Amino acid sequence: MGRVMAGSPLYDEVVQWMDIEAELLDEYREREWLEGMVSQEVVYQVPLRQTVERARGTGFVDGVYHLDETYGSLRSRVARNETAYAWAEDPPSRIRHFVTNIRASEDGDAIGVRSNLLIFRTRQEQTQPQLLSGERRDVLRREDGVLKLYRRRVLLDLTVIGTHNLSIFF
Amino acid sequence: MTITGPTRADALLDALDRGLPHGEIPVGLFGNQEIYDRELRRLFGRCWVFLAHESEIEAKGDYVLRKIGEDSFIVIRDEHGGINVLFDACRHRGVQVCRSDSGNTSHFRCPYHGWTYNTKGDLVGAPLWRNAFGGMPKEGNGLTKAAKVASYHGLVFATLDPSAPPLEEYLGGMAWYLDLLFGLNEHGMEIVGAPQRFVIDANWKSGSDNFAGDDYHLGTLHRSVWEIGAFPVPFRENMMGYHVQAAPGHSLSFSMAPTEDEPGPKFFGFPEELVATFDTSRISAHQLDIARRSRVMVANVFPNFSILALPMTEDGAHHPPTGVVTIRTWQPHGVGQVEIWNWFCVYKNMTPAQKDRAYRAGLGTFSMGGAFEMDDTEPWITVSRTGRSVAADLLDFKLNYQMGMPGVGIAKPVEDWPGPGISYWTRYEEGVQRNLYRFYGDMMRAEPGAWPKFSFDD
Repeated sequence: MGRVMAGSPLYDEVVQWMDIEAELLDEYREREWLEGMVSQEVVYQVPLRQTVERARGTGFVDGVYHLDETYGSLRSRVARNETAYAWAEDPPSRIRHFVTNIRASEDGDAIGVRSNLLIFRTRQEQTQPQLLSGERRDVLRREDGVLKLYRRRVLLDLTVIGTHNLSIFF
Repeated sequence: MTITGPTRADALLDALDRGLPHGEIPVGLFGNQEIYDRELRRLFGRCWVFLAHESEIEAKGDYVLRKIGEDSFIVIRDEHGGINVLFDACRHRGVQVCRSDSGNTSHFRCPYHGWTYNTKGDLVGAPLWRNAFGGMPKEGNGLTKAAKVASYHGLVFATLDPSAPPLEEYLGGMAWYLDLLFGLNEHGMEIVGAPQRFVIDANWKSGSDNFAGDDYHLGTLHRSVWEIGAFPVPFRENMMGYHVQAAPGHSLSFSMAPTEDEPGPKFFGFPEELVATFDTSRISAHQLDIARRSRVMVANVFPNFSILALPMTEDGAHHPPTGVVTIRTWQPHGVGQVEIWNWFCVYKNMTPAQKDRAYRAGLGTFSMGGAFEMDDTEPWITVSRTGRSVAADLLDFKLNYQMGMPGVGIAKPVEDWPGPGISYWTRYEEGVQRNLYRFYGDMMRAEPGAWPKFSFDD
């Protein structure tokens, strides 16, 4: 697996892909994101994390999640948000994805991308934001020439989640 | 001499007493600090509180860190297979000794001076013992234990009050209903993984209130789940069934078809291969019949332990709904916050594929990212805001819990209900919640050592 050097055409393509994704998600263009940027074979997971001693690692628990999505379940979430009864997001919360520290590596058709993610979220008259910080470990794959999200694993810096729901996308 | 008059909490509890017979509850219960402080002592400091499932600590030395009220307790299986519930505070200076949410250990060592305790909580040593503590007995200096610990169908509860009745007496009629879900076959249930935890700006009682049998909210708040095909029983049909006040404080609700021949899910939507393993060797024919006809069971064990079984899917286009079981606690986290702990349960004898399906269906619906649950937090946040409201106080604002009272709606008492407690047919009924608040009021007023009745027959 070779590192994709910053400044190379592939690196630029990956950065642009991540920026466009963030733009679609911030602008509630969820269906556009799903249908244009996500592979039908996607595995999209936010694993559960616990506080454990350093010797036991980072505390992510095998096989247990906050979200464990397939394309079908993601489509279900997008459809839910489009109904007139998605109270959790209507009026919608205001979200912004800050994506930094992008590192890419190439392995055949797959591009591994690690990025740091900070989601800033407010709703109604809140002045204190809800913050979700973590690392995304993605695999992008070229399908019919288009880069698609094939794997996403969001490693949150939280054991107890402090936002009113996870109706948003990471 | 200090003269203390009635407090605001007393006034709210008086208003609860006066209002309940008319289906009225003062909203200040959801936002008053004095009430909250009293709840920590009189409810969480006395009642049997759910902590863990035995399957989370199967091996000797396995432990999980859990809460009673706002306080941390280590729930650990000791070298002899017993379960101990230990207050997580070193006897020397009160320092937290358990520094992981879960794990396996033979001892806990305090990081401050090194006092060390075994899996029973006994003090086993400290550095340079002879110089420091020679002559002082270790006995009596162990970790402080919960007053009583007991489990029912693997559900581990503890109480801090030595005067508490045995767990089964406390559960009263609710035990019968726990049997007909957790005891359906001889294998029992187990937890998938570890609990999800999330904090929202709501009062803990909103969760208990909702799971005591608030089925009516599905038609509005959760309407989206029908639009995406996540739940198979239409709203109006789903309102058919029984509300049960199983025992004072403990309430539940069944969505049930009027007759056995009605199409639709049976046994909460569990797969047929699993249903084939259900039998009456551990439960009565009546219990099995209720389970067979049930589409949904939602229950709350006072004060803050809730159970839900129902058919769900996270992806209606690809997977038909299947039986999901979630258990949760509504942990108080200040008057205006609740920490929700959410576990998914499966029957131990389910195939890996069945367990995976049930877990995914549960995760996609009853978790903070799930289609059902993500909407629940929305109203609860504003209930607690109203609970803190000065206007509500000045304007004598009361909450309406009148559904199903005589002359209100269609719910009627069921005379020949085969189970314990008081039952109503059709779920257009809020007696289940009035039962929760009646016991709540009694517990909030009970003097130390005194307990309200645990049965309607007493």
